[in-house]
Amino acid sequence: MNAPPAQAAPAQADRAASRYSPEVAAAIAEECAQAGIELVASLPDDWIAPTIAAFDGDPRFRHVPVNREESAIGLCSGAFLAGTGAMALMGASGLMTLVYAITKINYTYEIPVFILITQRGSLDDVAKFHVSNGLYLDQVMRSIDLPNVTIDSRNRLPLIGEAYAHSRKISRPTVAILSKKLLLGLA
Amino acid sequence: MAMPYRECLAVLAAQRRDELVVTSAGNSSELWHGITGDTERTFYLEASMSMASLFAAGLAEGIPEAQVWAFSGDGAFCMNPGMLMVERDMDLPNLKHFLLSNRAYGSTSNVPLPGRAQNDYAAIARGFGIERVWSFETLGGLEQGFDEAVRSPGHGVIVLELEPVTGKHGSPPMDGPEVKFRFGRYIERTYNRTIFSAPV
Repeated sequence: MNAPPAQAAPAQADRAASRYSPEVAAAIAEECAQAGIELVASLPDDWIAPTIAAFDGDPRFRHVPVNREESAIGLCSGAFLAGTGAMALMGASGLMTLVYAITKINYTYEIPVFILITQRGSLDDVAKFHVSNGLYLDQVMRSIDLPNVTIDSRNRLPLIGEAYAHSRKISRPTVAILSKKLLLGLA
Repeated sequence: MAMPYRECLAVLAAQRRDELVVTSAGNSSELWHGITGDTERTFYLEASMSMASLFAAGLAEGIPEAQVWAFSGDGAFCMNPGMLMVERDMDLPNLKHFLLSNRAYGSTSNVPLPGRAQNDYAAIARGFGIERVWSFETLGGLEQGFDEAVRSPGHGVIVLELEPVTGKHGSPPMDGPEVKFRFGRYIERTYNRTIFSAPV
């Protein structure tokens, strides 16, 4: 039996089709590189398709597409103990699945991990199926005392490095949230 | 057939050289600590279900000169079998994933695992494209096949068919941060990595 034919990497395909800004994606990747991030574990979200493609095509990073968000937390947590700067990149829905992994691994062992997510469910998100993120994402993060910062314009992109460093400083996870207008290149 | 759990881990412990080990919740952490007493080269990832092998992958990716063993219980594995997709893509030559199959949620009073009679973990691994897959049901078979399965280079999945553990065994007597610092300090001095003293 023959194996199915190989297909183009999804990240590359999305990059051409996405209306989200490749320039902003490149700027995000640059901030991450400057911060010392070398390994990026990603789950897709339409808003960050160009961002994922940017990491995938940048030799400064080892980009690892993972099967679910908990896998990203496991991988990044192990990477920390190898001395590798790591980041988990995902949509807001992904973070909503991570209460178990964050509290069990990162809080129990005091292992830092930096998580970059989208602000799905915001007022400008037209997807009804992300309404729950708008209603509960902030409350979920507060319920587990998860420090976070919203990045809603290009001049706030340096907060990526600060949030990453803060995670290392406090030996806990931190989150940076990317707004839609930023990712569209409108802010 | 299935191997006695503790005796099987004792075979692995006897064969171990300087490998880093990441254990999973429950039996594998408790018995591995009971057998080895190791507090430096083993990360007891008790507080996790299904994340031990990718935690180990993060180590193996960042320390290619180290050999890394990951222990997954089959209860944890069944919660996230897609971990093998990621392992296959990463294809880390220094990572060996031991799938400890006792067909029960061993750390929670051996509650039976769904599909326990039919689950074919080696077939699942091959189905995800992993080529180096071994399965052992006897201690003699494990000892005989150990070098080929574990010592030869290349990412591999090794399924160990085990009997459920009876009785309760104590957790390693360390809180999470102590596990982290003991393991991390060993990595720093052995592999010349900067972990805790990295500038922020």
